Amino acid sequence: MKLKKFLKFRVLFLLFWILVSIIAINPRFNAEGVSIKGIEDNSTAALAGITYDSDVRLTNLERITSINNNKIKNIQDYNNILEKINNSEIIRINTNKNEYVMIKEGNLGISVSEVQTSNIRRGLDLQGGTRVVLKPEQELNDQEVKDIIRTIGSRLNVYGLSDIKIKQSTDLFGDSFIVAEVAGASKQEVQDLISSQGKFEAKIGNETVFIGGKKDVTFVCRDDGRCSGIRQCNEIEQGLISCQFEFSIKLSQEAAKKHAEVTDKLEINSTGVGSSYLSKPLDLYLDNNLVDSLQISSSLKGIEAIDIAISGPGLGSTRDDAIDEATKNMNKLQTVLITGSLPVKLDIVKIDTISPVLGNQFFKNAIWVIIATVIAVSVIIFIRYRDLRISLPVILISSSEILIVLGIAALIKYNLDLAAIAGIIAAVGTGVDDQIVIADEIASGKKELVTSFKEKIKRAFFVIMVAWGTGIASMLPLFWAGAGLFTGFALTTILGISIGVFITRPAFASIVEALEEN
Amino acid sequence: MALLNNLYEKHYKKLIILSYSILLISIIIIGIHYAITGEFFQRDISLKGGVSATIYNENININDVKELLSDSFKDYSVRELTDFNTNKNIGLIIEVADIPEKDLRNVLKTKYDIDFENKEEYDPGLATSSFSETFYRGLLIALLFSFILMSIVVFFSFRTFIPGLAVISAALTDILAALAVIDILGIKLSAAGIVSFLLIIGYSIDTDILLTTRMLKRHDAPLIERIKSSMKTGLTMTFAAIAALVTGYFVALPEELKQMFLIISIALVFDIITTYAGNVGILIYYCKKKNIT
Repeated sequence: MKLKKFLKFRVLFLLFWILVSIIAINPRFNAEGVSIKGIEDNSTAALAGITYDSDVRLTNLERITSINNNKIKNIQDYNNILEKINNSEIIRINTNKNEYVMIKEGNLGISVSEVQTSNIRRGLDLQGGTRVVLKPEQELNDQEVKDIIRTIGSRLNVYGLSDIKIKQSTDLFGDSFIVAEVAGASKQEVQDLISSQGKFEAKIGNETVFIGGKKDVTFVCRDDGRCSGIRQCNEIEQGLISCQFEFSIKLSQEAAKKHAEVTDKLEINSTGVGSSYLSKPLDLYLDNNLVDSLQISSSLKGIEAIDIAISGPGLGSTRDDAIDEATKNMNKLQTVLITGSLPVKLDIVKIDTISPVLGNQFFKNAIWVIIATVIAVSVIIFIRYRDLRISLPVILISSSEILIVLGIAALIKYNLDLAAIAGIIAAVGTGVDDQIVIADEIASGKKELVTSFKEKIKRAFFVIMVAWGTGIASMLPLFWAGAGLFTGFALTTILGISIGVFITRPAFASIVEALEEN
Repeated sequence: MALLNNLYEKHYKKLIILSYSILLISIIIIGIHYAITGEFFQRDISLKGGVSATIYNENININDVKELLSDSFKDYSVRELTDFNTNKNIGLIIEVADIPEKDLRNVLKTKYDIDFENKEEYDPGLATSSFSETFYRGLLIALLFSFILMSIVVFFSFRTFIPGLAVISAALTDILAALAVIDILGIKLSAAGIVSFLLIIGYSIDTDILLTTRMLKRHDAPLIERIKSSMKTGLTMTFAAIAALVTGYFVALPEELKQMFLIISIALVFDIITTYAGNVGILIYYCKKKNIT
């Protein structure tokens, strides 16, 4: 009786985990609309009250279901409808949670993705995006690593790129790397945002008046034509156009005081035409390169100026090129003024962009690979045993193992990449091996009645435990090698074989034993 | 069956020699490869550095691109990218070692009209050589550590020297034989390829542990019967794994997965010999010496 209870417990334990996994994965086949995957800071959408929280489970992301009463079914619908709406027209966005009203002013600042039908998070190579491996120029302490991860994260956030994973990894040689994975972003964007240290300094003579970051700069105007934009373009020589961008910022009290102190010491240079300037200009430096030199109006001498206009150029062979370049430079400057600088310079040592086309294709393919391998194994198992009482449990147990790995990955919000899929397949392969050992041990008992069921299981589990031990031992070094790019693989493999040993295998033994008894 | 009895009872020493000859031949092949190229195996772009770019254009012919690249570069590869649902060609993946991406663009420009700024049309990826070198050495050291850790677990579990050594040498043979085949086929190993050698360790060990346990720790049937029963179980395991991997190889699109499946399949074929010739042979010898029947 006791044994029977124990058997029941093992099967119930498996069922419990299957249930947990289904709840964690939360498959939704009839979800409509497009999911909101990011909101740009200070954008029209942000001001209208739309928020985004990167910690929320994928199926709980806010979904846009209609815009101006037009139903949204996919990204194409979303883009088509937005395109038809002119600037300064009213946009009414309905989501599954709320209704938002805003006036269109260029880019709304919303990043969307196809509706999320489950909580399984796809890694970069299965959804498209950019992965950058960065090497700091000098060794970092823990605080610096935290600062870097925070700064990069907020820089990308400024652009509405919030599906980001940034981690540090140290390899066997003691080299340390920062790996940033940004979903849905192109190489250029990420490169510009991450690779520059972004040390912004505004100096008068040799004295620094203010630097980038929240301490000195309290507000930066972006995406608002009234206080930010391209102001004028001039041909400075044959075939070279220069466009000037300008945007306003607000300084903190402390920085404004500093401005008063420094300008107070300057002399007034009168030009005689009516406008007069101070003797030294305000020089703007980005990573020690002079971006622009601004004349300071004499009226600001000794004044605690809070509103400052920042400007700089963009060059190009055509007017359009120059405007593009100026816009790019402006965005970069705005970003570093908002987020501050990185504690050290980072070199990009590896950058890969996976196109969303390829990512989606690989994702669909990965599902087929898993299904096909399970079928292949089932065929072999059936040929060998010619007995559904063994073959069927093997197939069911293997499938439940995959489900539980996916469930736990969804639960801990782990991104599954291509390597992780390989890990799952590997783990299922080992799992099937173990089940064959159990099935054969139990079947062998028919001939030798002396051996108890417990003894047979003990025998099988010795083999299984040693295999489990070697499996884990062989995966461990990957956590310290390959710049952390294979941790997903190692983790899913270890997770898979451990779930097998502690959850699915005991249940399998019970099921087969029960079936044999009948 | 009688053949098997005869083989295991009278010719087990020859089986040991067969298994270790594979190890020896593999080492020679890898050695020759090293003598010629200065490397134990060829590395692909992910371990060497250079450029890897994707062109999404179904109208560009793969052979034309190959011809174009062969005029300018020595170490390159071009693969077709196909859509899974329609099986239609949707573009090309180009890899060139040891050059800046600009050079590849310049060569492509001479023949094709590609919008290099449009990521839906041209998708460049870059890996710098010095990073790839550390990355590569790191993975090799990881492989070495894996092997050492696995050996510790095996010795700790069996607590006997010769059977433990037999299991470990079988895994080593599987790894080196697979590598020798890779060398002969001229396949360029990717980072994922090296990682798959870690999986070989896991897959190879299973059947050896089963065999060793049944031969040394059971006394419920004659030795030869115990060998046969563990063969029946072990071969099912290996064939199930090979079936899964070969199916995976044909179904998978990503080259990384394909290569992993291929390498482990090759190793598993060798594993049948190393386990049921080499390892069995050594264990029979050991059992005779220790009077285990």
